Amino acid sequence: MTLLYIPERRAATPWHRLDPLTRLTVGVATMLAAVLLGGVICPLLLASVAVVLPAALAGVLRDVLRTGLLLALPLAVSVVIVNVLFATGTTEQGIAIAAEVVVRVLTMAAAAVLFYATTRPSELVASLQYHGASPRLTFVIHNGVAMIPRLAERAREVTAAQRARGLDTEGSWPRRARGVLAVAAPTVLGAVREVEARTLALETRAFARPGSRTVLWPPHDTAGQRVARWGILVALLVLFVARISGAPLPC
Amino acid sequence: MGVSGAWLRVGGGLVVFVLVALGGLSALAGLDVDAALDRFALVMMVAIPAGVAVYALVEYLQTGRLDSITRQFDTRTLVLMPVAMALNIVLGTVVASALKVPIYLDSIGTILVAALAGPLAGAATGFLSNVIWTYLAPPPFGSPFAVPFAVVAVVVGLLAGTFARWGWLRPRRGASGRQLAVGGALSISALIVMTLLALRVWLAAAGADGIAPEADDGAFLILGWVAMSLIVVTAVGLVVLLVRRRDLAAAYILLAGGITGVVAAFMAAPIAASLFGGVTGSGADFVIAAFRQAGADLQQAVLGQSLISDPVDKVITYFVVYLILGAMATRTKARFPQGQYLLPAAADDDDPAVYP
Repeated sequence: MTLLYIPERRAATPWHRLDPLTRLTVGVATMLAAVLLGGVICPLLLASVAVVLPAALAGVLRDVLRTGLLLALPLAVSVVIVNVLFATGTTEQGIAIAAEVVVRVLTMAAAAVLFYATTRPSELVASLQYHGASPRLTFVIHNGVAMIPRLAERAREVTAAQRARGLDTEGSWPRRARGVLAVAAPTVLGAVREVEARTLALETRAFARPGSRTVLWPPHDTAGQRVARWGILVALLVLFVARISGAPLPC
Repeated sequence: MGVSGAWLRVGGGLVVFVLVALGGLSALAGLDVDAALDRFALVMMVAIPAGVAVYALVEYLQTGRLDSITRQFDTRTLVLMPVAMALNIVLGTVVASALKVPIYLDSIGTILVAALAGPLAGAATGFLSNVIWTYLAPPPFGSPFAVPFAVVAVVVGLLAGTFARWGWLRPRRGASGRQLAVGGALSISALIVMTLLALRVWLAAAGADGIAPEADDGAFLILGWVAMSLIVVTAVGLVVLLVRRRDLAAAYILLAGGITGVVAAFMAAPIAASLFGGVTGSGADFVIAAFRQAGADLQQAVLGQSLISDPVDKVITYFVVYLILGAMATRTKARFPQGQYLLPAAADDDDPAVYP
C-alpha cells in the first residue's frame, strides 16, 4: 500500500512517539483554529507553533512545506483570481480577503499534511481502539483508507483488460469519453460484488462478536498528553465563544 | 415495535431539530457572524446532531435498545462502507482535479449506502469519507479541503436514506399510461429548466474573457463539453428509462436529486464562501468567476453556483446509483438492512419476512 507516510529517518522522534490521538487533536485543532482566528498574523503564528515546530521536530519540515504548498496552490490561485481580478469591491478589499484565505488554506493544508506524513493509518486505528472507539468504526476507517489505492489499482487492471480487448484510450475526446463507461462499470460493480464474499469471510471469523478487543500495539499515552488534549479542546471552545460574541482579534 | 412508535421517534427528532434550528437562528441573530447564510450552516451543524440524538433517546426510552440504528450497521453494510468511501474519494478527486468540471460526483458511495442500509448509515459514510479524504487518504487522493464539507455529506446521506426508505429508488416498470404522462411531463420540464440554467451559466462563463487564464480556449471548450455531455447522457438516460422502459422511477430520481441538491447547495455555499473565499480549486470556480463578473457579491455568486451545480450533480449521482442498484442481484440487495424498499413494486408486500 503506497502512503504518503514518511518513515522515520532516525530513531523515532519525540513527535512520532506521541500518541496518534494527540497528533490528530493537534491537527484538527489547528485547522479549526485557523478558521476561527481570522486575519493574517494570527494563523501565521499558529502555523509556526502547531505545524512548523512539530514538523521540524519530526524531521519532515521540508516535505510538509512542499506538499502543503502544492496542495494549497491551485486553490490559492483560484482565490486570487476570484477575489482580486473579479472583485466587485475595491482591489484593496479583494487583496485583503485573498490574503486571509490564502494564509488560512496554507495553514489547513500544512496541518493535514503534517498529520498524515507522520502517522500510519494502522497506528491511528490502534490508538482509537485503545481509547475506546468501537472495533466496527475502526474497521471501517482502516478499510476505507486501504480501499482507495486498491480501487485505483482495480481501475488500472480493468483499463488494461479492456484495452487488450480493443478499447481505444488514446483517441479523440469523444472516443475516450465512450471508454469511460467500459472502465467505470466493471470497476464499481466488481467492487460492490466483492462485498458479499468479504462479508461471509468476516462473519465466519466472529467479526460481529460484541465486547471489546485486545489492542496488540497500545499507543504511548501519558498523563501529560491527556492534559494537553483536554487543554486544546478547552482553548478551542474559548476561542469559538470569543469569536462569535464579537471579541476583537487577539493579534 | 409498532408503526406509531416509529412515528413518535421520527417526529420527536424532527421537532427538536426544528426547535434547535429556530432557537439557534434567533440566538445568533444579534451576534457577529458574517451573514445570514453563515448562521444557517452553523446552526445546522448543531441542529442535525441534536435531532438524531433525540431520535435515539426516544427509541431507547421506548424499547431499551437502539435496534433501528444498530440494524443499519450490520456486517454487510460495514463491508460496503469502505468501498463506498473509496468510491467517493477516488471519483471526487478525479472529477474535481483532473476533469475540472463544475460538478462533484463525490457522493455516489454515500447515496449507495444510504439506499441499501438506511439514513444513518449513509450519513456515517458521508461523514467518514470527508474526514478520511482530509486526514488519511493516500496521495494523490488527499484533499485538505474536504473536511469542512462533512456536514453536507451527512445531510445528503440522511436525505438519500429517507427517500430510499419511501421507495423512491425502486424500479416502477409497467406504470399506467396516465402516471407515465404526468411523471414524464413533470420530469421533462424539470430537465429542461436545469439544462437551460446550466447552459446559460456555461455560455456566460465561456463568453467572458480571461476566466481561465491557465487554460487556452480549446481546453476550456473541451471541459465544458465533458460537463455538458455528462448532463446530456443523464437526461437522455432518464428519458429512455421513462419512455422506452416505462419506468416511472426516473421522475422520482429527478425529484430526489433536485431536493437533495438544493438542500446541499444551501449548506455548502456558506461553508465555501466563508472558509475558502468561495473557491474549491475545482471546475466550479469558473462558474463563480462568471457570476462575479456579472456583478454578484461573493455569497450570491457561490450560492448561485451551488444552486446550479448541486442539483445537476445529485440527479446524476442518483441516476448512477439507480443503475448500480439495477445491476446488483435482487438477493444481494434484499440482504441489506433496507434492501426490501429497493425491489420492484410488485415484489414488495410490506412484509420483510419474505426476504430473510
